[in-house]
Amino acid sequence: MDIELQEIRDFVAQHVLFDELPSALLDRLVNHLTIRYLRRGQVFPPVEIADRQLYLLRSGAVELRDSDGNLIEKLAEDDSFIEQCLHNNKVDISGHVCEDCLVYHIPCSIIQKMRAESVDFDKQFSNSVEQRIKNAVSQGQQRGDTQSAMHYLARDLTDRDPVIVPSNETVVNTARLMTEENVSSVLVVENNKLVGMITDRDLRRRYIAKGLDKDTPVSKIMTTNLITIEDNTMLSEALIFLTRHQIHHLPVMKNARPIGNLSVSDVIRHLSTNSAFIASDIEKANSIEALVHISNRLPELHLQLVLANTSSRQVGQIFSMLTDSLTSRLLELAEQELGTPPVPYVWLAGGSQGRNEQTSHSDQDNALFIDDAMQPGDDEYFSALSQFVSDGLNACGYVYCPGDAMATNPQWRQTVSVWRDYFNNWIEKPEQKALMLASIFFDLRPVYGDVSLFESVHAEMLSNARRNGIFIAYMVANALTHRPPLGFFRNFVLIHDQEHDKTLDVKHRGIVPIVDVGRVYALSEGLNAINTSERIEAACACGAMSQEMSENLIDALEYIGNLRNQHQVELIRYGQKADNYLDPRKLSGLERGHLKDAFSIIKSMQDVLEQRYQAGRMV
Amino acid sequence: MWSKLFGINAKRQRLFELLHSGALYDLYSDPFPNPKSLIKDVSFVVLDFETTGLDIKNDHVISVGLVEIQNLGIKLTTAWHNIIKTEKNLPESSTVIHKITDDMLLQGVGLRVALDKILTSLKGHILIAHHAQVELGFLNRLCQDIYKCNFLIPTIDTQLLAKRQLLRNQIMLQENSLRLFHLRDRYNLPAYKAHNALSDAISTAELFLVLVAELYPDLDCTLKDLGLKY
Repeated sequence: MDIELQEIRDFVAQHVLFDELPSALLDRLVNHLTIRYLRRGQVFPPVEIADRQLYLLRSGAVELRDSDGNLIEKLAEDDSFIEQCLHNNKVDISGHVCEDCLVYHIPCSIIQKMRAESVDFDKQFSNSVEQRIKNAVSQGQQRGDTQSAMHYLARDLTDRDPVIVPSNETVVNTARLMTEENVSSVLVVENNKLVGMITDRDLRRRYIAKGLDKDTPVSKIMTTNLITIEDNTMLSEALIFLTRHQIHHLPVMKNARPIGNLSVSDVIRHLSTNSAFIASDIEKANSIEALVHISNRLPELHLQLVLANTSSRQVGQIFSMLTDSLTSRLLELAEQELGTPPVPYVWLAGGSQGRNEQTSHSDQDNALFIDDAMQPGDDEYFSALSQFVSDGLNACGYVYCPGDAMATNPQWRQTVSVWRDYFNNWIEKPEQKALMLASIFFDLRPVYGDVSLFESVHAEMLSNARRNGIFIAYMVANALTHRPPLGFFRNFVLIHDQEHDKTLDVKHRGIVPIVDVGRVYALSEGLNAINTSERIEAACACGAMSQEMSENLIDALEYIGNLRNQHQVELIRYGQKADNYLDPRKLSGLERGHLKDAFSIIKSMQDVLEQRYQAGRMV
Repeated sequence: MWSKLFGINAKRQRLFELLHSGALYDLYSDPFPNPKSLIKDVSFVVLDFETTGLDIKNDHVISVGLVEIQNLGIKLTTAWHNIIKTEKNLPESSTVIHKITDDMLLQGVGLRVALDKILTSLKGHILIAHHAQVELGFLNRLCQDIYKCNFLIPTIDTQLLAKRQLLRNQIMLQENSLRLFHLRDRYNLPAYKAHNALSDAISTAELFLVLVAELYPDLDCTLKDLGLKY
């Protein structure tokens, strides 16, 4: 093929559909392209083209609508339109050009021939939305087998700034500083440049043993010609440096400035940062300060788990387990301080902790069920207990619930009977607004205390809920308030007609809709499960949801959850606060594609719910 | 009557009668497309030459790129590019522009083979070029050298077409505003990084489609509308 067509070839090759196409087929594809200019306002696909084609947009934009005129998708540069090559019957999609377009197109007949010749290409092409998501999830997990914790970068471990002294500082002052800062090494700088390092060993061997004067400057005894590493050096490489050169410290440099000093013990400590160690440390902790100290390691654990490609379902379980441990330990400490509780109680976690779906970035939702034997005046104890635990959790990074759904709120610190009334009331006299808030409490899970206090209320709630069609319809309407976006358009998230978002709120647009579906099924079928994936599996097991739909939803949740985890650890890695907002510009074409697939799975589930419960009428 | 005697097809017929065989003979054997044809029914060849300079007599064509437009679509199956073998050394300045070295030229096809390929492609087609007098001038000289006969083809010059479109919209023309690169930019066509005869031919073809759409949004124009009068 003509090397002169290279630019067009490069453009085609970077498209998701063609990125794995063998070189010879790619050449053939390019050779069979037709380039066409479509003007604003023109019908798309162009009527003057008789046979079915695959379209690639080189520039411009196209809007696609279904037969009812609803916007389905908006295409821009790099986007493709493959529908004509997928179905045999006429496609019920029509569109129009909204910005002048330069398009490349190729007859479906040629695509068909190429699919017959390349199994991989055929797979890429014919895979249904569901299959693509499944592959994306399993590919992510396969990567985990070959990737180890050694894929960390040096910067991931430099969690404190290096201690630095100027080269004319005295050895005595330096030794004092090292004691104050509790470090075994300091870096020496001169004119902003790193010139040396002093370690405990240097102090012993080159200063004390030699009996030098107390005004000796550090430059006299420091180690020079330092071996340093860049902040983006792989940890495995750093470890090789440390052992090969028989050194104990490696200054970590960024833009020629030291940003940390990696020690052998940092590496060892890092390798032992796993959930089991943290859990056992939590059990041994004797103060809130100690718990705060331990929970500072949670973001690093998050990073470690995600780099090892732990599934997002498992990440959720691990973090919720650790939060459970922290909560239990806080309650033990509170009881130590406040004395034995006057009557039995049970502490419950709601929201993501309740569902075992937490990450290192979560707020706290909780409630307290107290035995009906509670006397007036006993609440003083439980109020203090709740305050202690809630403050403790907040100090550990689980910020107070913005909606005040916490045991510190007297409304959510009540006797079993009162709770029973709450649930009855929500179910018998459903109100949209009240239910929005109450959704947290339909995900309650006992964490500490007398579990039996919760069990009877929970069982009664489940059996009442499923019998009440109006309540379920309200819950469905509630579940439909969070809709997934249509997809992406250039650097925006395409919500619907005339509406674009600059960022993708992956929690409310991807995760919450699936969580809500799980809750609806738990309540309408009386399922005990609290975890969303378990709820969906249980809904499938009892025949309420098709096997296909349940697998698709779990895959979609896993894919979106993974993407969120990757986003959050990336922020953690660069010292920023984890959040749920993805920047569409940072998503690869493949990720955009998979996300779009996940959104369409959620949408089809919501359509099923909407039809079954005619929930549209309620909102 | 007038066009029968002096029109382009009459000229073609006279040239045809001077020849006996070969690619130019074949090209002239069929009448040129009717100017009343709708452009969607006409096939075009978009041609670009890279040359050592603009002096038709003394400079040389060093590479050729062409692509066809059918039914207002640019067909990459028809894309063709070739470097033309020449005995003369390249002046240094043109090497810099086109990045073609003497070694590459020696690997190219001969002038005769290239000319015949162009003439064969042009049969039954309309020629499109940007600033077409360069391509027409060199083709004429090559035909004279090889076939001892003048070259003739109905031609659309995208530079003139662009000028018409810009003037119609009362846009002030500046020194460089009719160059291919600037026109593509003006009409929001993506910039091609490479600079060679084929990518320039494709660039010109894309520009042609834009200009047609700008001038005749319903695309219901004839060759005559685009300025072909014969």
